[in-house]
Amino acid sequence: MPKEAYMAGCAATANGAKLARVEVITSYPIRPYTGIMMELSRMVAAGELDAEFVHGEGEHGQVSVTQGASAAGARAYTGSSGVGVAYGMEVYSPISGGRYPCQMAIADRAYDPPGDFGSEHTDVMSVNNQGWILGWAETPEESMDNCIIYYKIGEDPKVMLPQWQVQDGYFVSHIPNKVSIPDQAQVDEYLPPYNCPHALNPQNPTNHGPQIFPDQGPAIDLQRAQAFLNTPKVVEQAIADYNKAIGRNYSAWLEEYKTDGAEFVFFLMGAHCRTARFAVDHLRKKGAKVGMVKLRFVRPWPTAQVCEVLSKFKAVGVIESQTCYGGAMKGGELQHEVRASLYDSPKQPAVCSFMAGLGGEVISLEEFYNMAKILEKNAKQGKVDQYVYWVGFDNGI
Amino acid sequence: MSPLYAEKFRIPKHLEIADGAVVPSPVGEQPMMKTGNWRIERPVIDHEKCTTCLNCFIFCPDGCWHLDPKSEKMVWDAIYCKGCRICVEECPADALRLENELNFKGGVARLDKPY
Repeated sequence: MPKEAYMAGCAATANGAKLARVEVITSYPIRPYTGIMMELSRMVAAGELDAEFVHGEGEHGQVSVTQGASAAGARAYTGSSGVGVAYGMEVYSPISGGRYPCQMAIADRAYDPPGDFGSEHTDVMSVNNQGWILGWAETPEESMDNCIIYYKIGEDPKVMLPQWQVQDGYFVSHIPNKVSIPDQAQVDEYLPPYNCPHALNPQNPTNHGPQIFPDQGPAIDLQRAQAFLNTPKVVEQAIADYNKAIGRNYSAWLEEYKTDGAEFVFFLMGAHCRTARFAVDHLRKKGAKVGMVKLRFVRPWPTAQVCEVLSKFKAVGVIESQTCYGGAMKGGELQHEVRASLYDSPKQPAVCSFMAGLGGEVISLEEFYNMAKILEKNAKQGKVDQYVYWVGFDNGI
Repeated sequence: MSPLYAEKFRIPKHLEIADGAVVPSPVGEQPMMKTGNWRIERPVIDHEKCTTCLNCFIFCPDGCWHLDPKSEKMVWDAIYCKGCRICVEECPADALRLENELNFKGGVARLDKPY
């Protein structure tokens, strides 16, 4: 029987890793993700989980050990936050290029300076093009479920890609919530043991990451591109199967909340969706035609789905929670992806960005109401007055 | 998947490679990859002192030491050794010493070809 529990994102994610029967875990401490490793080390010490627990000497070593463990055929698991994610950067491309479907749990955190430790999406979003599957969780339960679903997607023979399973630091990782923990037997049936096609074997020695000549490079890059083109079908199947096996109701790419009859929507991902739902409920009662669209995957980016869904509205407010200094729209990265997805659409909503939820700041209901006022105006006039609003510092908000 | 993306790519025969570029390990040396040609010093072994403890084999980052099963002696690989001294430092029997490359006939003194 599934077990109801009340736990924060870190503990829930550790339970997800335990249910996925991870075999090698590598850790290096940095808050807020450390809670995942604390719980996993307790599980290993208490004999609840049969796994090798290895301490890295830093994130670079930590992620390298994960690569080695995955090459040896183990279901490997690691994680980090903020500047730790940046320090592991060099190893991300070899892992996806070598096609090791290991998983890295991230509780996101702002970059330095000046040594901020609050939640912000900038850490992973600044390395998001290294060939890893990537998505955010809104709740501890979703984070636990994503851990299992991502292994299922990544280990598919048509995919074979590593995964960043991200939750917002503190907002998800440290705030307890109701979690329904599935049965081990149910998860075992959904996620069979990892069958590595090229596990290291002394009887049949192989070279991993060999030196190549320049003309061989593009062909190997193409393998990863092809794997990403194969991924969407696998994602849809994996989520449909999980919903059926465990009794959940996840949409694959985008979740629409109260978008029936909506003229303008908030477009965002992660923990702030929770506040957005309350804001939408309140504004709807007051007669505003507002909704919310939640993004579940950043990589692969659901281009066609974003285009189809967002084309229905007159105005879209992209809530960024991450910075992209000097980019095309001078705000965050999500607006670039959204505008590119909408480029071929015959119906163009007015798209603007809100820089909010940076440095660990909560996006308050009041701020959502103010953003809604701007979006309502944009919907009415069919264009934006400003591409980017810095919430708390800008015109009208 | 949108039809605007290629379903399958054409990869020329000579560029085909296994997923993740995992290939069978080469046995022996590759003529195109001579990476030890900028060495300044080389390790020289004293087989009288050597106990074949295999420390050099274990610590060498480039796999330049192996035990010859016939003679039961350690054999050094001149093509890949970069003269990093790790084996010399790690030898517990003091059987390895460093000697300047120029003391050897055919010793590498400069970069001839990168590979």
